[in-house]
Amino acid sequence: MHQLEIEHVTKRYGHEVVLDDLSFSVVSGRVTGFLGSNGAGKSTTMKILLDLASADSGHASIAGTRYRDLKDPARTVGVVLEPNAFHPGRSGRNHLRILADASGFASDRVDTMLEAVGLAHAAERHVGAYSLGMRQRLGIAAALLGDPPVLVLDEPGNGLDPQGIRWLRDLLRERASAGGTVFVSSHLLAEVEHLADEVVVLSNGQLVATGELAVLQKAGTAVKTLSPAPLTELLVAAGATVREGAEGELIVRGMPIAEIGERACTAGIALHELSPQAGSLEELFLDWTKGDAIPAVDQAIADATERKAESL
Amino acid sequence: MTWLRLIRAEIRKLTTTKLPWGFFAVLVILAALDATVVMFGTDMDGSKTFISTAADQQSLVAFAFNAMLVTALFGTIAVAREYGHNTVVPMFLACPKRVRAELAQMAAVLLGGVALALIGQALIIGALAIALPSTEYGFLLSVGDITRLLAASALAGAIGAVLGAGLGAVIRNLGGAVTAAVLVLFILPPLAVQLVNEAASWIPATLFVVISGVSTEVSLWAALMATTVWALLPAAAGLVAVQRRDVV
Repeated sequence: MHQLEIEHVTKRYGHEVVLDDLSFSVVSGRVTGFLGSNGAGKSTTMKILLDLASADSGHASIAGTRYRDLKDPARTVGVVLEPNAFHPGRSGRNHLRILADASGFASDRVDTMLEAVGLAHAAERHVGAYSLGMRQRLGIAAALLGDPPVLVLDEPGNGLDPQGIRWLRDLLRERASAGGTVFVSSHLLAEVEHLADEVVVLSNGQLVATGELAVLQKAGTAVKTLSPAPLTELLVAAGATVREGAEGELIVRGMPIAEIGERACTAGIALHELSPQAGSLEELFLDWTKGDAIPAVDQAIADATERKAESL
Repeated sequence: MTWLRLIRAEIRKLTTTKLPWGFFAVLVILAALDATVVMFGTDMDGSKTFISTAADQQSLVAFAFNAMLVTALFGTIAVAREYGHNTVVPMFLACPKRVRAELAQMAAVLLGGVALALIGQALIIGALAIALPSTEYGFLLSVGDITRLLAASALAGAIGAVLGAGLGAVIRNLGGAVTAAVLVLFILPPLAVQLVNEAASWIPATLFVVISGVSTEVSLWAALMATTVWALLPAAAGLVAVQRRDVV
């Protein structure tokens, strides 16, 4: 079993805290989706796990061992990181042959993997002439070269066509079913919803949610009341996440349904409906990450739009 | 076995791009220039006494210092581009003990530097041999002279390549690393001589003239030691930087 452990990891770049006392586990036999807005710290977490970056405090391990201490890292962990690491003037086959040489893999494994990812026809072509999807397939071939039980993949679906995404999904599910550990970050929420058994969600370098996706999706409560403002204030103060649903109801997360009812009753707020609510991953993600800073450009556009609206 | 695997991978990296061919083309051009000088060049008095003796011919074709310049650029580009293309990432994933991976890379670059230097020296000796029949002088270099020239160039190639590899590991931006190599090899030595006159004996140009058997300004052993220091300092700095820095 190759469980991944991130324990109290903090990472700073200058004064900026990129990861803040982050802890979570990734279990074997499951596909774990790693979610977060741009700059949330996903790639940094993966780099620390793979010993490509050092944590200021805390540590990360694979099956209880730091990456640098693994006996045979390339046969243990397959990695795809963004941006892809290719020399544009080198052929796809030579790229894999270099990795095979460095890790002591048989050279026929290179052709097997090129065949497996559908790149055999382009094996002698320079990587610079590959499309984004082909590069992504080559990266996946490199990750699978040592047939490792652990896969750490940063945005592996980028640039893949629908058939490629389907192929990748089947591959990752197959790996997890065989007992492998699959840890995959993605911005494609719909894809993660199809693929992941578990999710880990970061916001501004902090863990905001982790657990089984199906359970998390059902962990919301729809509340109808004539006093939404005081109820929202009350529940948020108690640590819940509250947003308005499509029909004016409140969608509450992070608080058991019974506690919502009790708190409303204690405060004298009448409830007209209190029912379990299953949300899409996109809704959940937006709830979890709504505290994220708005990128400067988006903020400027928002400010300009607001000023224009005011002037009209 | 791990070492051999890593060095083999690094050699494959060097030989599967156009980089060595670019440097080979430079060596061919240098040899052609040398042949042109032999065929058409003259001394101030119009004679060709600069190729009249074995010592003159040895001095003309001594390639060691130029080999160091060429291979320093080769080493710098070979290592710095690894960071530019991020191909250093799979290297450190395959071998997370970074110093070991970097040493394997330096070993491969060293071998590449030696090969380029030997090819360069052989081309220039060949160019001399081809150009001399157009003059009144014959080919006067003995087997011993040629052996010494080739040995000096091989050493210079190794020194230059390791020096460049060290700079490429310290300064990961390709342009910055090449600029640093030019500064270290072209600007720093004359500047040091301006400041301290005695430094003239210890700059690469002088040291490789000694190693090539053309001068005796310092002893051969002192020259060998000093050139090694020129390579080891940047290499050590590169190893420390690789160990201490985040890779990406």
